[in-house]
Amino acid sequence: MRRSLRALQFNSSWHTSCKTYAGSRQYRSTSAPVTAISALETIAKRNPALNAFASHITLAEIGSSETSDGPLKEWPIAVKANITTTLPSATSCASRALDTYTSPYQASVVDSLEGAGAVVVGKTNMDEFGMGSKNMFSMYGAAINPHTPSSGAKRKDMAESDHRTPGGSSGGSAAAVAAGMCRAALGSDTGGSVRLPAAWCGVVGFKPTFGRISRHGLVAYGSSLDIIGIITRNVADVQSVFSVAAVPDPLDMTCMSSPLRARIKALADSRSWITQVRGRSETESAPLAGIRVGIPEEYWVNELSVPALESWKAGASRLAALGCDVVSVALPHTPSALPAYYTLAWAEASSNLARYDGIRYGRRSTTPPDTRDLQNASQKYANTRSENFGAEVQRRILLGTYVMSSAASEHYFTPSQKIRRLIQEEFDRVFALPNALSMTNPLTPPTSRPPGVDVLLFPTATGAAPRLGDQEDSRVANYVNDVMTVPASLAGIPAISIPVGHTDGMPLGLQLAAQYGDDELLLRVACHL
Amino acid sequence: MRVLWSVRASARHYANNTFIANVLLHRRYYKPWGATIGLELHVQLAAAQKLFSAASAKWDDPPNTNVDFIDAGLPGSMPRLNPECVSLAARAILCLNGQVQPRSSFDRKHYFYSDQPLGYQITQQRHPIGRGGFIELSQADGIDYTKRVRIHQLQLEQDTAKSVHGVYPGYILTDLNRAGVALVEIVSEPDIETATEAVYFVRKMQTLLRHTGVSSCNMEDGSLRCDVNVSVYRGDEDRLSGTRCELKNLNSLKTIRGAIEAEVSRQIELISAGHRVKQETRGFDAHSGKTVLARSKETAPDYRYMPEPDLPAVHISKDWVEHIRSSLPELPEATLSRMTRQYGLLPEDVTTMLGEPGCITFFELAAKGRDPKRVAAWITSEIFGQLSYRAQRLNDSTLTVQQFTGLLDALASNAVTSGQAKLLLIEFMDGDKRTADELIQARGWEVMSDLGRLQDLATQLLGKHPKEAAEYKAGHKRRLNFFVAKIMAATKGQARPQDVSRVLKECLDEK
Repeated sequence: MRRSLRALQFNSSWHTSCKTYAGSRQYRSTSAPVTAISALETIAKRNPALNAFASHITLAEIGSSETSDGPLKEWPIAVKANITTTLPSATSCASRALDTYTSPYQASVVDSLEGAGAVVVGKTNMDEFGMGSKNMFSMYGAAINPHTPSSGAKRKDMAESDHRTPGGSSGGSAAAVAAGMCRAALGSDTGGSVRLPAAWCGVVGFKPTFGRISRHGLVAYGSSLDIIGIITRNVADVQSVFSVAAVPDPLDMTCMSSPLRARIKALADSRSWITQVRGRSETESAPLAGIRVGIPEEYWVNELSVPALESWKAGASRLAALGCDVVSVALPHTPSALPAYYTLAWAEASSNLARYDGIRYGRRSTTPPDTRDLQNASQKYANTRSENFGAEVQRRILLGTYVMSSAASEHYFTPSQKIRRLIQEEFDRVFALPNALSMTNPLTPPTSRPPGVDVLLFPTATGAAPRLGDQEDSRVANYVNDVMTVPASLAGIPAISIPVGHTDGMPLGLQLAAQYGDDELLLRVACHL
Repeated sequence: MRVLWSVRASARHYANNTFIANVLLHRRYYKPWGATIGLELHVQLAAAQKLFSAASAKWDDPPNTNVDFIDAGLPGSMPRLNPECVSLAARAILCLNGQVQPRSSFDRKHYFYSDQPLGYQITQQRHPIGRGGFIELSQADGIDYTKRVRIHQLQLEQDTAKSVHGVYPGYILTDLNRAGVALVEIVSEPDIETATEAVYFVRKMQTLLRHTGVSSCNMEDGSLRCDVNVSVYRGDEDRLSGTRCELKNLNSLKTIRGAIEAEVSRQIELISAGHRVKQETRGFDAHSGKTVLARSKETAPDYRYMPEPDLPAVHISKDWVEHIRSSLPELPEATLSRMTRQYGLLPEDVTTMLGEPGCITFFELAAKGRDPKRVAAWITSEIFGQLSYRAQRLNDSTLTVQQFTGLLDALASNAVTSGQAKLLLIEFMDGDKRTADELIQARGWEVMSDLGRLQDLATQLLGKHPKEAAEYKAGHKRRLNFFVAKIMAATKGQARPQDVSRVLKECLDEK
C-alpha cells in the first residue's frame, strides 16, 4: 500500500506547489454569519437543498431567549444531533431508535458554549449514531456538500446522485459551517468524523486531545475514541470555541482534571524552542522558526490521489517557508491502525448501543416477539432493535458483538488493543514532547532540543468528496477513507484538518497532529497554514 | 470429622440425622466422598448514594423515585464513581485480612435483561479492588475445630433494577431504584467442605461486615445474596477434580444448608450410578428439598467482557489504605476477648452485643465509671427487648448514651424504681429528647422516701382489710404481696417496693 519515500524528498517540486496553496485561501474568506438571525436567514435559504439540519429554531424562539455575555456572545452555533439538548426530539442521533426521544438534560459542552453567549440554532444531520463517513446512513436522508465541481452542471440541474457528499459522520455540521448557516458547529469524532467532513466541505475541523472536552451528553459510539470536535471557518474561531469548551467536568470522569491540565501545560511550556515562537510577532518573516514538522511516509498510500499529494506538498512548502524544519518520520504501525480501529470501535458500539431496547424510552416495536425461545431475554428486544437500527448500525453491532465473543476476542479484540498501544508508543517516539500520561518522573525541563518533531503533517482524506451515487467497489473501500484519520483517534492525540488546495472546485484538507495535550501548539501552527 | 459423605450417603440418608451415623459406620468399608464448596456473596454497600450516580441508594423508596440519568441508561449519560463505595469496599477487604489493590479497574459484563438498563453491568472482572484474605472459623463460631476459608477476590459492581411481577397481569414492571446501587461481590476459594461450614462462613461474614459498617447484610431484604459452587470427589482424588454446579439465589442460611446438602447428595448419586455431573446452574426448591436445573452450560450467556471506557482506573495509595485501616473498629474476635477480660462479661453477652451494630461503643461509653455487668444486663435485656419489639436497630433508635446513663444513675441512687426506669427507657425510645433528670421531674416520678407517709398508708390499709391481715398473722406470709400491690397502686409506683414491704411487715408484726 505504501510507496517509496524517495519521491517525497523535499525537493524544489514541493515548493512549486505553492500556487495550489494560495488558491485554497479563497474558501476561508467567505464570511461567516455574525448573528443568530442572519444564520437563520441563511438556513431558510440553503438548508432545503443541503439537508444539513435535522431541526432548527425559529426567529420567534431567538427573539424570546436571552443570551449570556461572553466571548461567544451571539455566535450562532450548530450542534450535532448526537449531543444532548432538551428541545423535543432534538437528540435523535439520526436514528429511528431515538426520533421520539427528548433528553431531560443538556450536554456539558453545550452548557459551556451557551454560558459564553452562544446561541444553538439547530441540530445537524449525521450518520446514524456516528457510523459512516458520507452522511448517507441517516433517517433524515443524506446531507449535501455545499460545494459543486466547477466542471459539472449547476446544483439545480444536478441529478440527486451527482451531488457531492459532505463526508461523515458530522456531515451536517461541516455543511452548515461551509454554507454560512452558523459560525461554528460541534461534531463528534470517533475515527475522523469531524476532520473528514471538514476537509470535504472546505472548513476547519478540530479533534482535540481525548479528555480536553467533556463527553457528558455526547451519545456514545466508541467511548474510548469519541471526542467532541469543533468545525469553523478559520482557526481563530476554533480557538475561541475551544477555550470555552475545554474545561474540567466532574460529570465525565475521563475528562482531564485541573491538576492534569496544569501538568500538561507546565510540560508544554518547558520547551524553550516553542516559547520563543510564542514571543515572536506574526509579521516576522519566519514566525514558525524552530518548529519541526514531521511528514509520516506511511500516509503516502496507493489510494492517495494526485491532487491530495499536491496539497500535501503545498502545505509542507508553506510551513518550510514560515521557518519550520520539515523532516520525514516513520510510523511503521500505521497500516495496522484501520483494522484495529474498526475492531475496537465496533466492539464498543455493540456495547454502547445495547441500551436501546425500547423499554425505558424510544420507539418500541408493536410486532409480538418470536415465542419459540422466550427463555432468551434478548428475543423480546429483537424486533425493536431490528426495526430501529439502520443497516450500517446493525452491521457494526453484529461485527462488534462477534469480535468480543469469548471465541473471537483473543483473535480480534485483544490484538487490536495491543496494536492501539503500539500506535500510541509510536507517536510518543516521533514527538519531541513526552506524553504526559506515561511520565512517571517529575518534570525536568530539557536542556537542549530533543530529537523528534512538534507536529505531523499529512492529508485528511485520499481525495476530494465523492458523489453521493458513487458505488465503492466493496464495502471495505468505504472504510479505507478513514485510513488517514484513525491513527490519531487510537492515540487520543489532537489533530486538525485545514483546507489546503482543491481539485475541480472541490476542497481538499490537510491534517496537522500533535502530541497528547499539545492542542495549543497545534492550533498555533494551524493558524499559519 | 470433616469428610462427611460416603457412597452410602444417598439423598435419603443425607436428609436426616441418621446420616452421620451411617457415614461413620460405613467409612471403613467404603471410600469416603468429599465435597468442594466455594461461595460467591453479593453484599449491598451501606453507601448513601449509588455506585455511579448521585441518586439515593434507598432502593425501597416508592418505585422509580431514586433514578439518575445513568441509572436509566439515558443517551449520553456517564458513570461517576462514588468515593464512599470505594472506601467501604476497602474496609470490607481489610476486615477480611486481604489487600486493597493499588490499581483496580472496571469492566462491562453484557447481557440483555429488562432489569439491566445499560445492557451491561459495570463490574471488576480483571482488576478487582480487593484480593486475598481469609475468614477463620473456630469454637467461638460454633464448630469444634478451626478452619480457614480463603478469600479469592472482592470486586465492586452495580446492582440490577428490580423486576416486579404480578401487579399487572402479563407485564413485568421495572423499578429502577435499585439499578446501580453499589454491591461488592466476595468470592471465596473452594476451601469449604460441608454445608455447616458454609453457613458459619456466611454468618461470620455478616458479623464482620455489619461490625465494620460495610453493609447491613440482611438476607431477608437482599442486602446479602449467596451463590454456591459445589463439586464432589471420591477418596484420594484431587479436591478440585469434580465438575461443579452453581447454585443460585439462595436467600437464607437455611436454604444455603439445604441446597448444598441436596446438591452434594445428587452429585454423589449421579456418579455412583455411573453418570457424570454436568456443569450447570441450579436453583433450590425448598418444598421438595432438591436442586433443580436452571440453565445448562450450552445456554449460558457469553458476557463479552470489555474494559469500561467511561471510567479511569482507580489508583489507591498506601497512605490511603492505612488511613482506612486505622478507621476500622476493633474486629469482633479481638473485642470479644478484650471485653470478657476488661469488664468481666460473659462471652454470650458480648457476642449478643457484637451482633448489633454500634452496640459495643454504646456499651463502652455507658460503662465508664459504672458497673459493667449491670450496664450489659440492661442493654441485652431491656434495650434489646425494646429494639426487637420495635423492629428497630440501635443505630436508628433515638436513645442516646446520655439518656441511658442518666437512667442508670437515677436507678443506682434510688431516685427511681426499676419499673420507672423501664418506663423512662420506653419514652426515650419513643423519641423524647429530654434527659433522664428532666423527664423524672416532669413526670413527678420522685421515689417516695417519706417512710412516715408509707406507715400511715399501711395502717389505713390494714384497718380496711382485717381479714387479709389476720390471714397473714395466721402464717399466710404471701398475703404481704396483696398489701404491697395495694400501696404501690396508691403511690402510683413511686414508692420503692422493698421500702413498702419493710414498712408493711413492721406494721403487721406490731399488731
